[in-house]
Amino acid sequence: MKILVINCGSSSVKYQLFDMSSENVLAKGNVERIGMDTAILTHQSTGKEVIKKVAQILEHNEAIRQVLRSLLDQQTGVISSVGEIAAVGHRVVHGGESFSDAALINDEVKQSIRQYFELAPLHNPANLKGILAFEEVLGRDVPMVAVFDTAFHQTMPEESYLYAIPMVLYKRHKIRRYGFHGTSHKYVSQRLEEITRQSNQGKKIISCHIGNGASITAILDGKSYDTSMGMTPLEGLIMGTRSGDLDPSIIGYAMEKEDLTITEANSMLNKHSGLVGISGLSSDVRDIVEAMNQGHSGARLAFNMYIKRIRKYIGAYAAEMNGVDTIIFTGGVMENSPLVRKSVCDGLTFLGLSLDEELNELSAPRERKISSTSSRIDLYIIPTNEELMIARDTLRVIQSM
Amino acid sequence: MSIATVGVVGAGTMGRGIAVMLAEHEIEVRLIDQAMERLQEAEKSIEASLDKKIEKWAITQSEKKAILSRITYTLDLEELHEADLVIESVYEEMEVKKKVFKELDRICAPHIILATNTSTLSLTEIAAETNRPERMIGLHFLYPVDKINLVEIIRGLKTSHETYLKASQFVEQIGKIGIQVYESPGFVTTRLILTLINEAIHALMEGVATAEDIDLAMKLGYDFARGPLEMADRFGLDSVLLAMEQLFREYGDIKFRPAPLLRKLVRAGQLGVKSGEGFFRYNENGERLSVNNSEVER
Repeated sequence: MKILVINCGSSSVKYQLFDMSSENVLAKGNVERIGMDTAILTHQSTGKEVIKKVAQILEHNEAIRQVLRSLLDQQTGVISSVGEIAAVGHRVVHGGESFSDAALINDEVKQSIRQYFELAPLHNPANLKGILAFEEVLGRDVPMVAVFDTAFHQTMPEESYLYAIPMVLYKRHKIRRYGFHGTSHKYVSQRLEEITRQSNQGKKIISCHIGNGASITAILDGKSYDTSMGMTPLEGLIMGTRSGDLDPSIIGYAMEKEDLTITEANSMLNKHSGLVGISGLSSDVRDIVEAMNQGHSGARLAFNMYIKRIRKYIGAYAAEMNGVDTIIFTGGVMENSPLVRKSVCDGLTFLGLSLDEELNELSAPRERKISSTSSRIDLYIIPTNEELMIARDTLRVIQSM
Repeated sequence: MSIATVGVVGAGTMGRGIAVMLAEHEIEVRLIDQAMERLQEAEKSIEASLDKKIEKWAITQSEKKAILSRITYTLDLEELHEADLVIESVYEEMEVKKKVFKELDRICAPHIILATNTSTLSLTEIAAETNRPERMIGLHFLYPVDKINLVEIIRGLKTSHETYLKASQFVEQIGKIGIQVYESPGFVTTRLILTLINEAIHALMEGVATAEDIDLAMKLGYDFARGPLEMADRFGLDSVLLAMEQLFREYGDIKFRPAPLLRKLVRAGQLGVKSGEGFFRYNENGERLSVNNSEVER
């Protein structure tokens, strides 16, 4: 059974086609710059070379037609008819309180996705566009499933998801913590069960997804118990360009002092803060590390603050759960930077965490345990695979139809 | 279908503002003017305006690059033959506009909507010059274009409902809010604000209150960001007078008669921010100087 996974942005479409019997990727690619006469289509069928072409692709419908054409191509494609696609799984960023799991797409689901436009103005409209485009191109016969970034966190208790502000704000406007990266946190925690051959039931896990965006989730009995991102992906950790936590009064004060509009203040916190804001240099951890090694003091400060905030959340979640059995590192930064991993672990010895420095430095296998045998806490690197998780969720939903 | 390419004719203050705002909404823009120097000046000022935005953290360096890459500068109107929409913002003079639209009518495919950003001239009269009066519309943007979310969508006598709907969709696409206006001198915004400014000048002339206090009254009393007299200074008193005279001529109603003090100041070359002094005094950056000694002698 083949499942196509789609991540649709405002001017891009990313896709992967999975064979679910083996969970292998048959083909993947993306379309960038939709809306331009020089859109770029990149396609690769597994084991074959990458194909790149520039074409006029003005709308998502056309982008999706091109994707299907690439998949169907006699030489470079992997399927011989559209009928081979059993289902399409769509990544949808915000499912609000309506979805605690993936959902078979129907009119009601589409309406709900629309309802959360306000909470995810950059993502949900694009996600819906992708869904509508597929409906138009494939018709309604191919089942489609929406897999929400927020769904995994719907298990959080009230104490975790409410903010200590007047309750009417939650009741009237649904202002609360939703959390993000849910698909990733879910994937790595389930993968942990497979690796250890032990159920997550009764376990206290802290999952750290540190990439361009970053969030940490406390997972109790396999379910999200608390997470660092909030109503929007701005809260929590210091990220490449996002501030993470700060005193909310700063915003009004800075707006007044610098004569900023709300839009400018939002942009400042989301695009000009974090590593780039502190260092004045770059939002990329690799650049920060390189500059730090060359003695750049801003880069060093940024790095130290970045690491400290990660430790702060791990410590906080260990306290929230009254302990931690396993810590998982995932996401681009954690999967690739031994230095970041070591720097985080160096300050967590009080928890009984002991890093095996040799294992930490290895580059393969990518998925591995890196805590030492004497460590009281297990520490794993588990490369995330959100696309596979979406494919699995999609399969599960259509099989229960 | 959404609009992908827009031609902007006239690279003055409004044309530049419209061009950069469109580019920020991922629209390809062809900005057109008659002289190379004007275009170079426009390019420079657009870049400077984006740098100012970076300073305010509104955009990033890479966003600036992307925005600039969507604007092409050209002297050739013919390049608009592939545009999905054209917005004209040349000098506010009927004959100039008529000439531009005659050309555009020839160059652009018959189904393309042509829009004018005029704030005082008759759309119906301009439209009469073309073979597509039903696809002519007014899109009145206000200065500064990126900050003011309003667009007055002006229906001329022959503008079709379909054209109006398409224009509304476009206004929505660029994140603005449109109001429907049936052509009438000064539309809603210009007519009301000019009347208020003129009345403020009358009040000042009559010695009802000082310029400072008149503006303060409206700022504190009615939540205006700027008082009417400072607004006039910022528009340019000569422009205010010109527009006022236009309204007076069109309506023939005494309520639109320009206040004599306004005319007197313009004759004295006291034009507001651009000359450093109007009802108040300003420095080169257009910032108001302190209240003391800044008032007009009555």
